[in-house]
Amino acid sequence: MDFVQNFPFFSIILSMLSGIISSVLPGKAAKWVNTAVIFISGVLSWVLLLYLMRKGESYTYMMGHFPAPWGNEIRAGVLEAGTALFFCIIMLLSLFGGRKKLEEEVDSEKHNLYYILMDLMLSSLLALVYTNDLFTAYVFVEINTIAACGLIMIRQNGRTIEAAVRYMIMSLLGSGLLLMGICMLYDLTGHLLMSNIHEQVKALASSGQYRTPLLVTIALMSVGLAIKSALFPFHAWLPDAYGYSTVSSAAVLSSLVSKGYIFLLMKIVYRVIGVTVFDDSRIIDVLFVFGLMGMIFGSLSAIRENDIRRMIAYSSVAQIGYIYMGIGMGTEAGMAASVFHILSHAATKSLLFVAAIGLTDVSKGSRKFIDLTGAAYRNKWAGVAFTVGSLSMVGVPLFSGFISKLLFAQAAVQNSGKMLPALIVLGISTILNAIYFMKTVIRIYTPVDSINNTADTAGDMVYAYKNRRSYTTALICFTILNVILGVSSQPVVDLIGQGLAMFS
Amino acid sequence: MIMLVILIPMIAGVLIPLIPFKKRTQMEVFLEGIVILNSLLVWYLLLHRTESIFTLANFTGNLSISFRADGMSMVFGGLVSALWPFATLYAFEYMTKEEHEKVFFMFYTMTYGVTLGISMAANLLTMYFFYELLTLVTVPLVMHTLTREAILASRKYLYYSLGGAAFAFIGLIFVIIYGTSTNFVFGGVLDSEKIGTRTNVLLLVYVIAFMGFGVKAALCPFNSWLPRAGVAPTPVTALLHAVAVVKSGAFAIIRLTYYSFGIEFVRGTWAQNVLMAIVLFTIIYGCSRALKETHLKRRLAYSTISNLSYILFGVVMMTPAGLVGALSHLVFHAVMKICSFFCAGAVMHQTDRVYVHELNGMGRKMPCVFGIFTVSSLGLMGVPGLAGFISKWNLAAAAVESGNRMAVVGIGCLLVSALLTAMYMLTIVIRGFFPENDFDMDTIKDVKDPDWKMLLPLFVFSFFIIAFGLDSSRIVEFFGNVAAGVY
Amino acid sequence: MRYIALSILFPIAAGVYLLVRKEPKNRKVLLAMTGVFLLLSAFWAALAICLGGKGMYTLFNLTDRLPILFKIDEVSILFSVLAAVIFLCAGSFSFVYMKHEQKEKRFYGYYLIVMGVFTALCFAGNLITFYLFFELLTLSSFPLVLHNGKKESVMAALKYLFYSLSGAYLSLFGLYFVEKYGNTLTFSAGGVISEQAAAGHGGILLVTAFFMLLGFGVKAGMFPMHSWLSTAHPAAPAPASAVLSAVIVKAGVLALVRVVFYSYGVSFLRGTWVQSAWLVLTLLTIFMGSMLACREPVLKKRLAFSTISQVSYILFGLAVMNGDSIAGGLFHVLCHGFVKAALFLCAGVIIYATGKTRVEELRGIGKEMPFTMCCYTVVSLGLIGIPPMGGFISKWYLAQGALSSGIRVIGWLGPVVLLISALLTAGYLLPISVHGFLPGEDYDYGKLQKKEPPLLMRVPILVLTVLSVAMGLLPGRVLDYLQQLMEKIV
Repeated sequence: MDFVQNFPFFSIILSMLSGIISSVLPGKAAKWVNTAVIFISGVLSWVLLLYLMRKGESYTYMMGHFPAPWGNEIRAGVLEAGTALFFCIIMLLSLFGGRKKLEEEVDSEKHNLYYILMDLMLSSLLALVYTNDLFTAYVFVEINTIAACGLIMIRQNGRTIEAAVRYMIMSLLGSGLLLMGICMLYDLTGHLLMSNIHEQVKALASSGQYRTPLLVTIALMSVGLAIKSALFPFHAWLPDAYGYSTVSSAAVLSSLVSKGYIFLLMKIVYRVIGVTVFDDSRIIDVLFVFGLMGMIFGSLSAIRENDIRRMIAYSSVAQIGYIYMGIGMGTEAGMAASVFHILSHAATKSLLFVAAIGLTDVSKGSRKFIDLTGAAYRNKWAGVAFTVGSLSMVGVPLFSGFISKLLFAQAAVQNSGKMLPALIVLGISTILNAIYFMKTVIRIYTPVDSINNTADTAGDMVYAYKNRRSYTTALICFTILNVILGVSSQPVVDLIGQGLAMFS
Repeated sequence: MIMLVILIPMIAGVLIPLIPFKKRTQMEVFLEGIVILNSLLVWYLLLHRTESIFTLANFTGNLSISFRADGMSMVFGGLVSALWPFATLYAFEYMTKEEHEKVFFMFYTMTYGVTLGISMAANLLTMYFFYELLTLVTVPLVMHTLTREAILASRKYLYYSLGGAAFAFIGLIFVIIYGTSTNFVFGGVLDSEKIGTRTNVLLLVYVIAFMGFGVKAALCPFNSWLPRAGVAPTPVTALLHAVAVVKSGAFAIIRLTYYSFGIEFVRGTWAQNVLMAIVLFTIIYGCSRALKETHLKRRLAYSTISNLSYILFGVVMMTPAGLVGALSHLVFHAVMKICSFFCAGAVMHQTDRVYVHELNGMGRKMPCVFGIFTVSSLGLMGVPGLAGFISKWNLAAAAVESGNRMAVVGIGCLLVSALLTAMYMLTIVIRGFFPENDFDMDTIKDVKDPDWKMLLPLFVFSFFIIAFGLDSSRIVEFFGNVAAGVY
Repeated sequence: MRYIALSILFPIAAGVYLLVRKEPKNRKVLLAMTGVFLLLSAFWAALAICLGGKGMYTLFNLTDRLPILFKIDEVSILFSVLAAVIFLCAGSFSFVYMKHEQKEKRFYGYYLIVMGVFTALCFAGNLITFYLFFELLTLSSFPLVLHNGKKESVMAALKYLFYSLSGAYLSLFGLYFVEKYGNTLTFSAGGVISEQAAAGHGGILLVTAFFMLLGFGVKAGMFPMHSWLSTAHPAAPAPASAVLSAVIVKAGVLALVRVVFYSYGVSFLRGTWVQSAWLVLTLLTIFMGSMLACREPVLKKRLAFSTISQVSYILFGLAVMNGDSIAGGLFHVLCHGFVKAALFLCAGVIIYATGKTRVEELRGIGKEMPFTMCCYTVVSLGLIGIPPMGGFISKWYLAQGALSSGIRVIGWLGPVVLLISALLTAGYLLPISVHGFLPGEDYDYGKLQKKEPPLLMRVPILVLTVLSVAMGLLPGRVLDYLQQLMEKIV
């Protein structure tokens, strides 16, 4: 066994430890610890990724060398390592981008708390990505939920607390359903380790026993995770949670937390239930339909929105719809497209959140569109970054969004039954995306004086975000990430293909 | 070399706001120099073109950004590069009245490069890429004046264009999946083995993609952005909304039809009939709306809508002769419409009058502008001896030859539209030259023809309208070769 | 050859020169120039007819298949002679008449251009050339209609323009098909439709032929597209009305001659539904024009309605498609041309001298201007068709042709309609003479003044009157000439 194989475990435990340590550290130190941990985890994932790519196959890592059923396993393949790396990058950049705002919005004594939550979040995300044990997954789902609640309400004003409560209720509902699913699965199969369950499920499916319970199980787990990742009809908690929390939280929540759950769902599909069994159940069609509806209704809500942050939040609903549509197609290509979209959406959405904060900041802190007029002139980098993010969301070539759209469409064409609805909704949703994102872009590039607005008081405003190095750097990195995904997507797509092959 | 002609204008465009020009003249000289140089390069390139494909970058899989100059590129690229220097010259004079010229010229010049990119794209993906880019670089031009109206117009333009591209995108996907490659090959790339029994699905997709690209070509019911976009400064409306942008739509449809799906595949199917019905409806619709419109530029914009569908009418005939008609109208209409738009712009620039009913007696005071406007009007009507007649002749002859019943109805539509064209254009001319008796000429006594920078392009264009009308055999022969796939 | 080009281009160039040059200081200079130009144009046209020969003369090629070419044949000569005479007469008339209108220079400019374009139309050797000049004729003649710049005139001109253009486009529809299914576009007696190419496409070709008839029929004021004529012709100044009514409408006739006898060919159209439909339309027009003329109180409008009716006599002759009727129709081209020009000039004189336009105001006018009214009465008789005037001869031939044609119903209905229309013609033209010369008991002779117009106005009227009488008295030469023509085309 190579030493590198320990890295997943190291990164999970490291981030948990740092959380514990941070509780006794002052805010500033906690910040650095956090940054360092994310960075280290990223590097570890990177090394692991390189290792796995060279090796060409995944491996299972038994914690403490205890075999099942007592032991706990970690499984790492190219896809896992790549996702982990990507999550680390996004998280780091989101924190960089939102740091100034955080300092402004959150009491200074709460800073270390924030970073503790971030550490926990990281560890739970990594655990979700790597774990090979369904129950462990559940535990980290709960940790994740708690951390997310904390991240939402760290601002401690009325709106955020309300949002956090809503989030918690919905999220716990989701976890509950997931837990029930896991219990039933345990009843049916007697195992908790994914690979063991998988074999049993296969046997059950081929023998035709317990058909209904199995279906119910799949439904419970899918719906549970769908609620947690804000698939369309279960998205009511999302706009408030993303819209009012501090910017780093919003970015992390939208681009990572929900993606963690989706990743877990994919894992369950591939490694627990098995693709064929999952395809045979009706659940896949339900997910597909919900995905399509999410694409439309999420965008429609976004169009109606008059608040830039909430608009971006609603756009997340639409984008999650895309991902579920890909999963719902039930093909390898669809799944690959979904994974790519997880990456590209994560890169784009956090970029948008971070850029939006720069824009609102130079507009007297207001998030209403009318006040954002001309914001791009007041904060050039944020304007450019927001434009890039928007174009990517709309799916303009050169940016990552285009590639995911391309992959989705290609996947759709290969599935004859779902081709037309998928393609048409894809087209409509592109138009809707264009409507609200381009409206915003035009708005922020409209000079103030031409719209006879109230006199521009920008002169005596403090530009908290203008020329902040960390902020600008984060924006630039996000933009570059986006363009890289958009232009040279081939390696990433290959990687995803390789990862998916290793997955099952 | 191909990259060069696309990049030069784009880079030059970006440089404009960055270079601190001491005087406006310096910028003019710089810009005009770049544009002329580039146009010369394009012409050199097109006349000495090679068959080789130049690949810039690879997207996923076998999708790449690559360029090649073929016969169609020669038509469209040649057209665009011939018109651009004149339009730029005109813009210098026109923009003296507007603000933020540097930003304007930046995007204006970048558009040149992007349009060339469309014309020289070697595969569907590259074209799609530049097609989207074209939308993005032209939106700032539409909202240039930054009035509320302009912003609303640019939004509308953006939504329509991006939305159209989204549907064209579906076509792209199907070509990727069902074609042998996405490269443009005369006669289409669809692989009949892969299609199997899915012909109808592919036809449906073809219709969807046609309509998608048709948004830029202002196909009914997706045309309302074009008149709205008329709030842009006239050089933009003239060059982009009469030539570059809308013709890109038509050009993309030609590529889609003749070089990707292939006419053999679509001809004689329901898809052809549906599209032809839509196109014919647009021809009549555009004209009727133009007749109702009292705002001069919007009237011309509606006229553009109708004329673009002439081109598409040629395209949907799905015969080489139809393509000849389409190509000749593509080129001739460009010259005629840019000419009439420039005349409208000259009137606006000199007098600030924008409505048709304000133009009484202008012909007496601006004889050059109105004379040229008359020439272009007659050309658009299709009076023999002017360019418009030739293209309509080619279209109608192709329709007769195609033996398609719808196409015969189409000739009728062309002629009705010609009559309507006469109505909406000649009323302007008559107002200009023959004001009613009680009109007081003193109210416009200070009006006069604009200076040479505006007049030169006008004279050149009107010369070409007449020249093409009188002797078109060589250029039509060239179109014939392009349409036969010789180039 | 070069005379043809000269006869076309010279008047056009002269007209354009007049339009763009500065207003001459002295009106006489302008008149002298115009007069010289007119005479020269007529002279070139005469030379072209005498020396032009029968060959084809290609000016240039629009495309490989579309040459602009000219050729002089019998029909060309017939129409161009008519045009030259009437243009000269109306031109000299206008030298006086236009004194009380403005912008004379513009009027003469367009007048000359119209003359050149019409000559070109006569000499056109193929359909495309014909179509080109047909459009140009419309475009150059509408400024004559809107000349006085009143709102009604401008509207009338627009109506004229759009009706004519729609007609032109309708016929363009057919043109595309003739090009496709014909051997050539060049006019040749007996038609050019190639039987091989047209096989199986007879139906569509007939439809296109009908479209062409309707389209070119617009210019000839044929029902259902006639209403522009009664609006536009009266709106123009009198000399222009004379030219429009006597010559320009004949462009429609010429067009139909070219289409029916030189493009589709009699053999292709005879006996088809197109012929029947066309006959019905012409008879309708004849009857309706006369009826409307009877009811019309404004003199010039009445004359315009009369034109609608009379031109359809010609078209009826063409539509019957046999030698006699066509000869009668073409003979009527000349008769009606001279008569109608004379009538309009008379109306012009009345307006010029008294300003009266309505029929009921014209009581006693014969006492005031006996010369004018004498001429008016003489030519009116010609139009009604009283022997031995020209109108009688043309109607005789028309009726004979119709009766011998063997077409059911129309064969005898046609002559009946002609007869009724002749009565109506008498009904709308003669009362003016009667009331003019015999104003009745209560007429106040005290106010009577001699208002005869100046010589320059009287001479053209006289010339036209003499010509129309001569047509009746000495028809032999013309009829022989037409008979020769008939042998070629029928």
